[in-house]
Amino acid sequence: MASIGKVKKERINWKEIKKQKVLLLLSAGYVIYGFIFCYLPLAGWLMAFENYKPKAGFFHSEFIGLGKFRQLFLDDGFIRVIRNTLAMGVINLVTTMVAAIVFAILLNEVKSQGGKKVVQTISYLPHFLSWIIVTGILHDALSGTGIVNDLLVRFHLLMEPLNFFAYPKYFWWIVAFANVWKETGWNAIIYLASITAIDTALYEAAAIDGAGRWARIKYITLPGIKPTIIILLLMNAGNVLNAGFEVQYLLGNGLVQSVSQTIDIYVLKWGISQGDYSLGTAAGIFKSVVSITIILIANEMAKRAGEERLF
Amino acid sequence: MRRKQITALLVTGAMVLGTISGCSKGTAATGASSKEDGGIKEFTAFFAVPGDEINDDNEIQQHLAELTGAKVKETWLTGQTAEEAVGTLIAGGEYPDFICGSDGTSQLYDAGALVALDDYIDDYPNIKNFFTKLEWEQLRQADGHIYWIPQFNNSYEKDMQTTHNDEAFWIQTRVLKWAGYPKITTMDEYFDLIERYQEANPTMEDGTKNIPYTILCDDWRYFCLENAPLFLDGYPNDGSCIVDLDTKKVKDYNTTPTAKRYFQKLNEEFKKGIVDPESFTQIYDEYITKLSTGRVLGMIDQWWDFYVHVNDALKQQGLEDQGCNYVPLPITIDKGVKNRWHTSGDTLNVGSGLSITVSCKDVRGALKFVDDLLSEEAITLRNWGEKDVDYLVDQDGLFYRTPEIRMKVSNTAYKASHLCPYSYFPVWTGMSQDGINAAKPELQPNEFLDSLPTNVQECLEAYGCKTYVEMVGENEIPGPWYPIYTFVGTMTTATPGGTAWIKMRELKHEYLPKVVMAPDFEAGWDEYLSAYETCNPQAFLDEVQPEVDRRIKIAEEAAAN
Repeated sequence: MASIGKVKKERINWKEIKKQKVLLLLSAGYVIYGFIFCYLPLAGWLMAFENYKPKAGFFHSEFIGLGKFRQLFLDDGFIRVIRNTLAMGVINLVTTMVAAIVFAILLNEVKSQGGKKVVQTISYLPHFLSWIIVTGILHDALSGTGIVNDLLVRFHLLMEPLNFFAYPKYFWWIVAFANVWKETGWNAIIYLASITAIDTALYEAAAIDGAGRWARIKYITLPGIKPTIIILLLMNAGNVLNAGFEVQYLLGNGLVQSVSQTIDIYVLKWGISQGDYSLGTAAGIFKSVVSITIILIANEMAKRAGEERLF
Repeated sequence: MRRKQITALLVTGAMVLGTISGCSKGTAATGASSKEDGGIKEFTAFFAVPGDEINDDNEIQQHLAELTGAKVKETWLTGQTAEEAVGTLIAGGEYPDFICGSDGTSQLYDAGALVALDDYIDDYPNIKNFFTKLEWEQLRQADGHIYWIPQFNNSYEKDMQTTHNDEAFWIQTRVLKWAGYPKITTMDEYFDLIERYQEANPTMEDGTKNIPYTILCDDWRYFCLENAPLFLDGYPNDGSCIVDLDTKKVKDYNTTPTAKRYFQKLNEEFKKGIVDPESFTQIYDEYITKLSTGRVLGMIDQWWDFYVHVNDALKQQGLEDQGCNYVPLPITIDKGVKNRWHTSGDTLNVGSGLSITVSCKDVRGALKFVDDLLSEEAITLRNWGEKDVDYLVDQDGLFYRTPEIRMKVSNTAYKASHLCPYSYFPVWTGMSQDGINAAKPELQPNEFLDSLPTNVQECLEAYGCKTYVEMVGENEIPGPWYPIYTFVGTMTTATPGGTAWIKMRELKHEYLPKVVMAPDFEAGWDEYLSAYETCNPQAFLDEVQPEVDRRIKIAEEAAAN
C-alpha cells in the first residue's frame, strides 16, 4: 500500500486505458470467470439466514436470522468437528512442510544428476493418485493382515496384529502420514527451484572458509529459501480448515468418528444427508470467515517480524 | 516492489475466493433426457442403493427395448449413502427421469422433486393391477397423492418364497456337517458350536485361516451388529424398535437385558478371538470379499445384503463343494422363546419405491415403459432371461436350467453383457402369469432344489427342510402397523423424535463397537447407557407410538367398512 506523498498516484484516464487495452482484455476473462464462479454463488449464503426448503426456494423460505448459527454453536458435535479440523489441519501443515523442505535439501545434496531425477520423478508420482486409491492402499497396508502388521509381527515389535483404524489415538497421524506420503515429492519441487536460485558463489566461498555440508545447509540453503518458506506457510495457513474431506470420510469408521469428522463431513452429514441446507451453509460461512481471519493474522505476524508477506 | 505487491494481492484474492467458493455445492446431476433413438426412447434412472451397472449393449436390454419401445440407463449408488446422493441431487435441482430414493425418499418428496402418479395410474392396467385398492390408498402421502410404486414383495397368485430373504444368524454348512447337524436354537449354542469347530478346524482345505465370526458395521449396514436383540427376544423385524405384540406399545430394544447379554457375549467372543478383530473397521467391499473366500464361518446379515455376490463367487471358485454356503438358524436368547426371524406374506414397504421426477419430460412414456415391463413376456425376460439360452422348457412347459447354464448366469461378465433384470422397477414375484412357472428361477420349486449346492441340499435334508425358509420357520404378519421401519425411515431432523433417532444411530455407531471391544465389559456397557440417555430416545419412541396407533386404526376402519 503506497503511503501518501511517497509515490504520486497516477490518475486513470482514457489515454492510460487505451495504452493498456490488451492487458485489460486479457484480464477481463479472469474477472468474468471470478464473478460467475466465485461471486455469484455467494448469493447462496442467504440460505444460512433462512429455514431453507428446496420446495419453497430462496424467496419463499422462512427468514430466521442467526437461528442456524445459534443451533450450530450449541451443538457439541460441531465444536468437536472444529477441533478435529484444526488439529488435523495444523498437523498436516507442519508435517507436510517439514517433510518437503527436508526432502528438497536432501535431494539437493545428491551429486548424481541421474539418481536425483529418478528419485524426484518417483517421489512426486503419488501426487497424481486420487484419494480413493491412496486410502484403499492405506486400508490394505494397515489392516490386520496388511504389510505393516506383517512386518511388525515378524520383527517381534508386536505380539498380535494391531488394528490401527480401531483406535482414535492413531487416526490423526494416519491422516498426516497419508498426506506426507502423497504430497512430499510434489511440494518439494518449489523448494528445489528456490534452492537452485541461490548463488553458487556463496557455497564456494563457504567451502573455502572451511564450512562442511551441514554448515552450508544451515547457513546458506535454509536462509536462502526462507522467503519461499514464509510465503508458502502464509498461503497454506488459510487452508488449515481445509484439512480434508476424502481422507477422513474414506478412512473413518464408527469407532473413530469422534476424532475423524471434519467440518466438511459435518456439512455433508447435516446439510446434504439430512436436508438441512441452511445449517450446512452456515457451517460453510463459518469456515470461510475463520480462514480469512487466519490469513490476515498470519500476514500481520509476518509483517511485524519483517518477513516476506502476501499483502 | 509495487508490482510484487500487486501480484501478491491477486494471488491472495484468488485464494480467498477459492476458500469462499468451497461452500457453494453444485453438482452435475444426470441430465434428464428422453431422446429418441431409432424409435426407441431413452430414459435415465438413479437408484439410491448399491447395484451393478450393465453394459450399454446389453442383449436382453435390447430385446426389452424392442418389446417396450424404450430403454433405461440405470445408475446406482457408489461410495455414498442414499441420503447423501439424494441430498446432492436436490441441491443441484436436476434429476434423472426415474428415481428410487431408498432412505432419501422422504427428502425427495419434501423437495417437490416427484411427480404425483395418481392421475395417471388408471390408464395403465398392469400398473393399476399391481396393487389392490387398499394398498394404493396406503401409498398416499400426507398431501393425498401417490408418488412412488414399491417394487418388491408383491406375489402374483401365491407366495412362492424359498429363500429367507431377511436377517438371521447365518452359518456355513461345513460347520453343521462337522457337528452332525445338531439342533441349534440359542445364541450360546451358536457361538459354542463355532468355537468348537474353529478349535478342531482352524483352517480351510487350502490352509487359509478361518474367520470364525465377523460383524459388518459399515455405515447404514451396521444392523448386522445392532438390531439382533430385537430378534433374540422373539420379535419380528420392525427394524428400529419393538412393537409389543400384545399391548401394541413401542419399546426400545437397545437397552433391554437381552441386549446386554448379546453384547456381553460378543465381548467375550471378541476376547477369545472368535469375533474378527477387523469387524468394526472393515468396509462393505472388504466384508463381501471375506465372505467370498469362504473363510467366514458365521455372521448376522440380511440375505439380500450378501447372497448375490457371495453365492456366485463361491460357485465360480468351486467352494460350494467345501461347504462354504450359508444357511440360517432359528436363534433366540433362551430356549422356549419363539423366533420370528421370518415373516411370510407380502410386506408392502410404503416408505420408498420407484418414482418419476419433475425433470422427466415424458411422464406418459415413462409410465408406459413401467407398464410394459410388468407384462408376462417382459417379466420372464427380466427374471429368467432368454429362452433356450438362459433357461430351457420341458414338455410340461416348466422352465429349468442345466448346471452349465447356472454356472454361466452366475458369471459377472455374462450378467453385465447379457442379463437385464431392471431390478429396481416394479416386478411380480410369486407365480408367473402363465400359471405354470414361478416368476423367478430361485422360486421355481424344481429349479430351486436342483440349483442348490449339494452341501446345502444335504444340510436342508438333515433338518427335514425343503427350503431356507423352513430352517427358521414361518410367521404371519403380526399386525397392520408392520413393519414400522417404513415410518421411521421418513423421520427427519425437523422433529425432536427424528433428531433423537439420528443421534441414537450416530452414538450406537461409536459405542456399540466400543462395548464389544471393551477390556471391562461392565464399565463399557455403563458408559454406553449413560451416553445413550443423552440422545433422548424417549422422544423418538413417543413419535413412533402415534403412527402405530394410526395404522391400527386405519386397518380397523377398513375392516369395519
